[in-house]
Amino acid sequence: MNVPLSDYLMLSAFLFAIGLCGALSRKNAIVVLIGIEIMFNAGILNLIAFWHYRYFVAPTAYIFAIFAISIAAAESAIGLALVIAVYRFYKSVTLDEMTSLKG
Amino acid sequence: METTFWILSAITVLGALFAITLRNLVHCVLSLILFFLGIAGHYFLLRADFLGAVQILIYIGAVAVLMLFAIMLTRHVTGDEGPREVLGGKWWAGMGTAIIIAGLLWAVIRKDQLAQLLPTGAAQTSVAAIGKALVADWVVPFEAMAVLLTAALIGAVVIALEEVIRRR
Repeated sequence: MNVPLSDYLMLSAFLFAIGLCGALSRKNAIVVLIGIEIMFNAGILNLIAFWHYRYFVAPTAYIFAIFAISIAAAESAIGLALVIAVYRFYKSVTLDEMTSLKG
Repeated sequence: METTFWILSAITVLGALFAITLRNLVHCVLSLILFFLGIAGHYFLLRADFLGAVQILIYIGAVAVLMLFAIMLTRHVTGDEGPREVLGGKWWAGMGTAIIIAGLLWAVIRKDQLAQLLPTGAAQTSVAAIGKALVADWVVPFEAMAVLLTAALIGAVVIALEEVIRRR
């Protein structure tokens, strides 16, 4: 494969920025979770690209990526349960309306 | 191989962009599935076959379906609101942060010597080797992950059922 490592790093940096933009600027809590998932995937893609280009024989980065995916799955399950609990309380998933803790 | 990389990159970036910009939440999740498929394709291209399969199973099979369920359990699915309703209060600050971070990462990656590396044509890591490493060298993190996933499962159920418990 003739693609240099920098292309993969650029791609994952760009995806990370897209996810960050979605997580910080959208109003809906579910879209914020989607942005967080995009950032997670960009990070794992970065890890796998380094593994492919540098340490292809040892499976260490591979196992790290599997652990990261498991953590992301647990995180999204908890996050969506929180969204449902918040919806029960506020009857909405709009982040700007959740101001109970505002001083 | 380069053509495959660029096609997959285009699919991935478009999926990510649509996932955070579309107004209808169901369309957002469908674009997110496209994004996950593009990432899985990248894993296959990087010869991480098992991870590509894991990506499809966990992300598309579990996370995306969970998000669809969460959307169905909450209201405002169609999202007929204007752009003011879609973006949060200080959206310009979020977009500025994202643009600054993208520029910083771009500048760092462009200058780095390591980034010009081309792959070494070594033998592929087999799934058997991964399995052996997971239960030999990495058995403690593996078991910790099992405990974490169980705790997350119980925690998610407890958080989502909070209202019912309070009512009794």
